[in-house]
Amino acid sequence: MDETVAEYIRRTVLKIPRDEIKMMLQKWGFLSEAQLQTLNFHQIKDNISLEVVQLCEENSADIKQAAVLDIIYNHLYQNKRMWSVYQMRKTGEELEYFDITDFKKKFKRRLRSALKNVTITFREYEDNAIWIRVAWGTPYRPPNQYKPSYVVYHSQTPYAFISASVLKSNLPLLCQALIVASNYHDIREMELRSHSLNSLKDIVFKRYSQNFQTYCPKPLQGRAVEAESVDLRIINENRSEKERIQRLNQEAFGDGPQPILQFAQYKLETMFKSSPEMDVLDKKEPFRCLVKFSSPHLLESLKSLAPAGMADAPLSPLLTCIPQKARNYFRIREKRGLAPESFVSP
Amino acid sequence: DGAARTLPSLGRLSRGRPFGRAYGRLGTSPSGRLVLPAPLSQESGDPQKTALLLRKAWTLYSVTPLYRFCRGRLRDYARLLSAFIAAERQKGLAVEVGVELDIKVALSSLPELQGSEQDQPAVLVQLSSRSRASPKNSEDKILWSGCFCCVYGDDLSENMPEDFSCLPLFLANGAESYMSVVGNWFQKTFDCTFRRLAISPFNLSWMVAMWAGCKVDKAASAVELVFSVPRLPQPLDISYAIHPEDARALWDTIQKTPGEITQEEVDVFMDCLYSHFHRHFKIRLSATKLVKVSTAIASAHCDGIVKMLHSQYLSGVLMLLTELAISQIQ
Repeated sequence: MDETVAEYIRRTVLKIPRDEIKMMLQKWGFLSEAQLQTLNFHQIKDNISLEVVQLCEENSADIKQAAVLDIIYNHLYQNKRMWSVYQMRKTGEELEYFDITDFKKKFKRRLRSALKNVTITFREYEDNAIWIRVAWGTPYRPPNQYKPSYVVYHSQTPYAFISASVLKSNLPLLCQALIVASNYHDIREMELRSHSLNSLKDIVFKRYSQNFQTYCPKPLQGRAVEAESVDLRIINENRSEKERIQRLNQEAFGDGPQPILQFAQYKLETMFKSSPEMDVLDKKEPFRCLVKFSSPHLLESLKSLAPAGMADAPLSPLLTCIPQKARNYFRIREKRGLAPESFVSP
Repeated sequence: DGAARTLPSLGRLSRGRPFGRAYGRLGTSPSGRLVLPAPLSQESGDPQKTALLLRKAWTLYSVTPLYRFCRGRLRDYARLLSAFIAAERQKGLAVEVGVELDIKVALSSLPELQGSEQDQPAVLVQLSSRSRASPKNSEDKILWSGCFCCVYGDDLSENMPEDFSCLPLFLANGAESYMSVVGNWFQKTFDCTFRRLAISPFNLSWMVAMWAGCKVDKAASAVELVFSVPRLPQPLDISYAIHPEDARALWDTIQKTPGEITQEEVDVFMDCLYSHFHRHFKIRLSATKLVKVSTAIASAHCDGIVKMLHSQYLSGVLMLLTELAISQIQ
């Protein structure tokens, strides 16, 4: 077995938390059950990984098998990576029958015709998700297995989720191969990025619970704003205001759990306007700003701002439109002509 | 009246106290005016020495006056501190794992870093090492730096008895363990107290207003304000970065007198930024916590960590920080 392959397998196993190693090796299926029995999973990881490499040696593992193990790891820990969303377009309306073998063949052929030194690995998962791993080399160097790109393509949709490696120059090639293989003619990157792959899918496949524009005159049953206090001397001031905020929030964000995004970025190129008594800047040029919101769970965070008193309700549509518009990067310019208070929608 | 408009500059003899300081400390009086020192000109002092302070993240401390600190004895102090550090390391403190090091201590005076005549020149403390393994004439590696300074600290030093030296601001860069040892020695030897200096959102807004208005030659970095909203179910951070030219243009229309800033002007500046933000997002930034400000001149974090980026405005930044340190002491 090639020593670079051995080293790669060793490092991949080291990444896996000790309690998960056995499960992942079983999923991999490259080592037999008998071989797995011989492994001692109670020793330190360094030793476990060495023993695994030893067994792989016995089975003459090559880079192809090692790459599969890497996909399995990244599928389980998909949220460690940053994913971007790409949307493809085709000319005709017909839904073509999707042939996975054909797809793989075309994809490999397209990539290999441009770049000889690549490692391409496929793995299919539930809900028609095809995971593709590509390790990139140059005409003179073998593929760098430690910086691969991952593509998750849902064959029944025009969407692909890409976690590119640092080598961004390979992105156009990757996109090309995708559209050729899937019979689309065009691909564009959407302004949508997150660590949470499932949330991205929720957003583009519209799987989250969306807000409805129905008018709710009274709070719904069982959604008391706060617990009833036992002491009758304690009353809730601003009860109606709190309820109003709650209702507006619900209308804006919907009822269900929000998709998980880590940030939203706004490039503002609007005019600066102050209240007339402040005798300040009144230029005819835009006041250029870049605003970035970050949070482990951005939409939940934004949803809690108005009830916490930090924001008006309803919250700005610039923020609440994120799931519907399926984007978290925006460029906002001044709307020309009409009401000066309004903005160009992103 | 022409004299009143002369701004003191670093390294030269000043005519007395900076104008407008009669009202005292940073922001403590509603009409408090702050006079900004002019940008440092190239001839004053050794640019090499002051360059030491640039582009490093300094942790800020306030230091009470040092008792019987004698400038002529810097060499002696270095020896004593060196012995103290060696002793502490024997005890198992201030040790970096696995490295065999000889730690050298150097104390030096930085006359370039002072504001008025009354100011004590800055004192630089450097801990450097040469690994026993490396060849004789290799460069010493600087492990830790500390700098006592006082820039326009007249409010503190004017009524100080003879035996005390006023160097209220301390900047530290390097491992915390070294700071701890060095701090202990100074506290024991000169009967002073070191305290971490935090920067309130109030002072951060003064800083951003002041620095946003400074003129810089080359392409400046954005004026950035970072806000934190920790007490939500999911914490939120907001970064609000403004193009430096636009921020300066806004400030120029607000500032009435060049070289002077009032509390009211700072408030208007911040209100403008807040209302522009609110117009777009309906979020009230004033209800959140301002934790960091960043400009081409310097950046400052509320935990008391500062980075100075522009040599010309070094004195201005140090003057501000000296004031903060003095506020904490008094």
